[in-house]
Amino acid sequence: MIPVSIQLRLALNRLTLPALILLSAGIIIAGQADRKRSEKVRMCVADALAPVWSVVTAAEERAIAVTSALHEASHLASENTRLRTENENLRRWYDVAVSLTRENDSLKTALHWIPEDAPTFVTGRVVADSGSIYARAVLLIAGADSGVKAGNIALAANGLAGRVTETGAHSARVLLITDISSRLPVLLESSHAPAIMAGDNSPMPKLMYYAQDIHPLEGERVVTGDQAGAFPAGLPVGTVHYIMPGRPVVIPYAKLDHLVLLRIFNFGQAQVEAPDAPGHVPLAPPHKTQEPPFTKLFNQG
Amino acid sequence: MKPDSSRNSWEAEIQPHQTIWSRLDHGARRLLPGILCFFIIIICAAPLPVPGITEILPAFMITTVFFWSAWHPSSMTSPVVFLLGLSMDFVNFTPLGVSALLLLLVHSVAFYSRFGITRLPFLLSWLIFAFIALGVCLLQWSFACLFRLHILTLSPALFEATLCVGFYPALSVLFSWVIQKFNDREDI
Repeated sequence: MIPVSIQLRLALNRLTLPALILLSAGIIIAGQADRKRSEKVRMCVADALAPVWSVVTAAEERAIAVTSALHEASHLASENTRLRTENENLRRWYDVAVSLTRENDSLKTALHWIPEDAPTFVTGRVVADSGSIYARAVLLIAGADSGVKAGNIALAANGLAGRVTETGAHSARVLLITDISSRLPVLLESSHAPAIMAGDNSPMPKLMYYAQDIHPLEGERVVTGDQAGAFPAGLPVGTVHYIMPGRPVVIPYAKLDHLVLLRIFNFGQAQVEAPDAPGHVPLAPPHKTQEPPFTKLFNQG
Repeated sequence: MKPDSSRNSWEAEIQPHQTIWSRLDHGARRLLPGILCFFIIIICAAPLPVPGITEILPAFMITTVFFWSAWHPSSMTSPVVFLLGLSMDFVNFTPLGVSALLLLLVHSVAFYSRFGITRLPFLLSWLIFAFIALGVCLLQWSFACLFRLHILTLSPALFEATLCVGFYPALSVLFSWVIQKFNDREDI
C-alpha cells in the first residue's frame, strides 16, 4: 500500500463519490454523443458474457424438462389418446397439403412462374433478455461471424419476432416488435388495408394509421406489408384484438415473453428495385446553376 | 456502536498481526455484497420464466445499495456501486452510465444520512426509503423519456418503486442477519 498521510487519504475518500458521479454523467453524455462506439463496447461485453448465459439457459431448460417429464408421466394415457386423434386429423391435413402443393406446382408450370430466391437464414438460441423496463429486446447466439447483419429479420417458430439492431462477433441483439421504438408497416388480411403496428412495451402492440373507413375485424390475421421496403410482404405477425372499443391491438403469434430459438433471415438480396418510370422528365437539369440576366453581355464587354 | 473497520488508521497501532487467512476473510466480507449483486445481475439477464424480471432487478439493486450503504458502508463502497451500475447498463442495454448514476445517487443519500437513518425506528426509515425509491424511479423514467424524446407511460416506474418498497422489509431482515454474522465474526 502506498504510504499517504491521513489528511490526503481522507480527502481522497471524500472526493471519490463526487468524482464517480461526475464520471457516470460523463459516460452518459459520451455514450449519447458517440453511439457507434458505445454499441461496439456493449456488444463486446455481450459476446464475452454469452457463454455464461448459455450455461444458465441450458440449466434452466434441463430443470423445465425434468419438471414437465414428471408432470406428463401422471397423465400419459389421456395424452396418448389425445395425440392419436390429433394424429389422424393431421394425417388428413397432410393429404390435403400434398394435393394442394401438386396443384400449385402444376399451375405455376402452366403460368411459367419465375421462382423467387429462397432467403438465406441462420438459427440462433436466445440466451439473454437484454431488455429493460423501458425496452424489449433479446440477445441470441448468432453473430456477424454467421452472417447476421443489422436490419435482418428475426422470425420465431410461428411469427415475426423483431429485427436485428446490433451485432457482435458471436451474438446479436434483436429488438422485439413490442418495443416502444418499433414501428412496422402491416397489412390487415381480410380488410386489405395497410396500417402501422406500433409497439408500446406492452405485450400487445397497437394498430395505428389505418384508413378511417376501415374497421379492423376482431381475430383478423395481420401480416407484414412491404410499403417501406424494410420487410417482405406476407410474414405472419398476429391477430387483431380489441382491448376496448376503437383501440385495436395485435396479439403476436410469436411467444415473445419466452423465446427459445429465432431464425434470422436475410431478405436483403430479395429486394426488388423498380426501374425508372418511362416518360419521367426531370424538373431541372441537375448541374445548371442559375445565372443573373445580362451576364453574357457583361462577359462580352 | 462498533468502530468502523475501514477507519483503523485512527486506532492505536497495537493490533494483532494479520495473517493471510484473516486478510482474505476480511476482504471477502467487504466484497461479498458486491459480488453477489454482480452474479444476480448476470443471472437475471438470462431469459428466466419469472414475470416482471426487468422491474425486479433494478428494484432489488436500489434496495440492496441503500441498505448496505446505510448500515455497512465498508461493504458497499462507491467504486463498487459504480461498477454494479455500469454492469447493469451493459447487460440490460440501457444507455451507458444511467444505472451507475442512479445507484450512486441512492448510495450518496444513504451514505451521508446514515447516522440519522440508522437511529430511526424501522417504519420511519422504510418511509424515507420509499420516498428515495420513488424519486430514483421517476428520475430513471425521465432519463428514458429524454433519450427517446417521447413521453412514456409512468406505470413501470411506479411499479418499480412499489417493488422497492415491498422488497425493503424482507431484504432488511436478510441483510441484518448477514451483518450480524459479520459482526459476530469480528468479535472472535
